[in-house]
Amino acid sequence: MNSVDVVIVGSGASGAAAAWSLSRDANLRIVCLEQGGQGDPKQYPTTLANWELSRHGLASSKPSERNNHADYPIDDTNSPISIANFNGFGGSTILYSGHFPRFHPSDFRTKQLDGVGDDWPLSYQDLEPYFTLNEKMMGIAGLVGDPAYPEYENLLPPVPMGPAGQKIANAFNTLGWHWWPSYSAINTRSHGGRGSCINLGPCNTGCTQGAKGSVDVTYWPIAKRQGVEIRTECSVYDISLNQHDKVNGVHYVDAKGLQQFQEASVVILACSGIGTPRLLLNSKSVAFPNGLLNEYGNVGRHLMLHPLAYTEAVFEDDLKSSIGPQGCCILSQQFYETDMDRDFSRGYTMQILRGAPPMETAVSGYMMRRIPLGPEHHKEFAKYFNRTVGIAVIAEDLPHAENCVVLDDENCDINGMPGVKIHYTLDDNTKKMLAHGVERSKHVLETAGGRVISSFAPVKNAGWHLMGTARMGHDPKTSVVNSFGQGHNVENLFVVDSSIFTTSGAVNPVATAQALTLKICDHLRNNLSDLERST
Amino acid sequence: MIDILCDTILPGDEDLGLPSGAIIDIDRYIHRADIGAQVKEYGQLLDELSLEKFNEGFVALDVGLRLEIVELSRRRNNRLSNIIIIHCMKAYYTDANVLKWLPAGAVPPFPAGNPLKEDDWSLLEPVYERGQAYRPVSP
Ligand SMILES: Cc1cc2nc3c(=O)[nH]c(=O)nc-3n(C[C@H](O)[C@H](O)[C@H](O)COP(=O)(O)OP(=O)(O)OC[C@H]3O[C@@H](n4cnc5c(N)ncnc54)[C@H](O)[C@@H]3O)c2cc1C
Ligand code: SF4
Repeated sequence: MNSVDVVIVGSGASGAAAAWSLSRDANLRIVCLEQGGQGDPKQYPTTLANWELSRHGLASSKPSERNNHADYPIDDTNSPISIANFNGFGGSTILYSGHFPRFHPSDFRTKQLDGVGDDWPLSYQDLEPYFTLNEKMMGIAGLVGDPAYPEYENLLPPVPMGPAGQKIANAFNTLGWHWWPSYSAINTRSHGGRGSCINLGPCNTGCTQGAKGSVDVTYWPIAKRQGVEIRTECSVYDISLNQHDKVNGVHYVDAKGLQQFQEASVVILACSGIGTPRLLLNSKSVAFPNGLLNEYGNVGRHLMLHPLAYTEAVFEDDLKSSIGPQGCCILSQQFYETDMDRDFSRGYTMQILRGAPPMETAVSGYMMRRIPLGPEHHKEFAKYFNRTVGIAVIAEDLPHAENCVVLDDENCDINGMPGVKIHYTLDDNTKKMLAHGVERSKHVLETAGGRVISSFAPVKNAGWHLMGTARMGHDPKTSVVNSFGQGHNVENLFVVDSSIFTTSGAVNPVATAQALTLKICDHLRNNLSDLERST
Repeated sequence: MIDILCDTILPGDEDLGLPSGAIIDIDRYIHRADIGAQVKEYGQLLDELSLEKFNEGFVALDVGLRLEIVELSRRRNNRLSNIIIIHCMKAYYTDANVLKWLPAGAVPPFPAGNPLKEDDWSLLEPVYERGQAYRPVSP
């Protein structure tokens, strides 16, 4: 098969940003290999009235529930949090909520400021121009002027908070706490050739409207026009090295089940915080018997998942809370930065979530013995539907080497490549942070006039932020890639997804992951000819 | 039998304008969810309990007694009862004819969407006035 300049593995949040960024150089030949298939928005669950049922099929964020041929086995029985993802063209952005805040400046300096975690080999300022560029490309709604951040330049109008958001915002004001409209990858007016959000709600099943900034509708259409070739249903199982221990391409199984080799001068991994270490660990050679870039045993380690606490309250008034993008309303970063008066380091974001749709309201109400069967059913149902509001606490997860992804040779995907096992526990700092978050969530919901009806942590099926498993750093002994996402000892292998996060921050990762990807790709484009010469 | 069960646990509510569970196409749902065998087993349990307690089959009972039997079935075989009751709820709350009577906004395939009023962002003034909330970091 013809050699290309760059092969990108994975078409999700970071793979798409890389494809777009690099293909601005029209001379580059770029191929992206994606193990999943191409979805069709016309088939998304929300095109049918029974979308609450069909979301549990192919559009589920649980790989075990989806049972798609593109999924690989993930054994997370050894973790209180289960892994959630989507393997298909566009990656997990197809299902994500589009909550899009940036990391804060302090997130890059946790060791220096608080003596915990590690410092990143770059700073907020280094990423700032890329944050802005990425927000333009992805179409980010919000409001400039947030005192919790250095200045944003430009955003689309904020997603409406609706009566539910207003209720909670007033409570934050009563308490004197920070809140701000959510940064949301949701078009609130036409942008990037896409229409605007019509407040349907279930963004986590894929947005039929095309208003949510998933990368299949943001970066990919342009990257394809710029000449990137995307090959779906192509599963990469090995990254190949030449006699100088530089990468020279990837082995993959194509849509017909045939083994192929794609020769390339540079390989970029964007397979997610689980898929990337899996592929590196599976790429064993004489030079790297324990997996590529794994000389010091760091690949797969330092897994961070953002443990979540969830608190929900019900209100007397009809708040129309099931209307509007479910995960994007308002947020609070009152407890984001370290406060020496608290018994934990670092902090968390409170993400206000809109209410549950009808079926979920009825079933959970029945299970919790709140909504009876029989003549009183509808009256009681009406007391909950459109009247509930949730708060998700997104806790900063500190990096620990023991929290890791390892190969599971006993459970393989359909091509015979090993799946993974997750070993993960919550540390004391996180437990204290979650407990604090639950108490503060209850306080704000009660201040708003709500009655708390449920609250728990950690949320089991919420392992959707996958970070740290090929971390960046200056020291090859303690990290996997350098500040340009470049393998310490394999200079033409790059990792661009959130595996390279040194610490996790306490916000949803995509804004920061894609900004990093764009920065890395700028560096790569500027140095590609040198790299090609040296391989 | 299953439509009688749906009507028992999810009766119509005139005040709220909501239809009875009997109007939904439950047979189609059962077929799709592939739960025919469990539905049959639960039907037998309901009949057994009705005969035991009231000397009549479930369908022949009036609605109040049927509800009593459903409650009894939860105590006798909680797992099976919950499976079927929850399936009935799922079928009901995903039926287009039910959804359009709920204040659930636009019903798929979502022709128009849902309007939300303009927000009053002056609510943010106190937040803004408190000033910088992020930690300064030397580069
Ligand atoms: C339900 C849900 C809600 C979320 N909400 C938010 C949110 O509101 N905000 C936010 O910032 N983040 C959110 N996330 C997380 C976010 O979607 C991910 O962090 C992000 O998509 C990760 O980007 P990525 O490129 O690293 O991986 P992905 O987007 O997951 O893409 C990786 C791609 O690589 C492919 N791949 C993997 N291995 C191979 C291989 N060996 N060969 C070929 N292809 C391969 C996969 O099929 C996949 O398509 C959410 C995630 C989920 C599941
Ligand atoms: S609420 Fe808006 S962004 Fe979300 S699925 Fe509906 S139209 Fe798309």
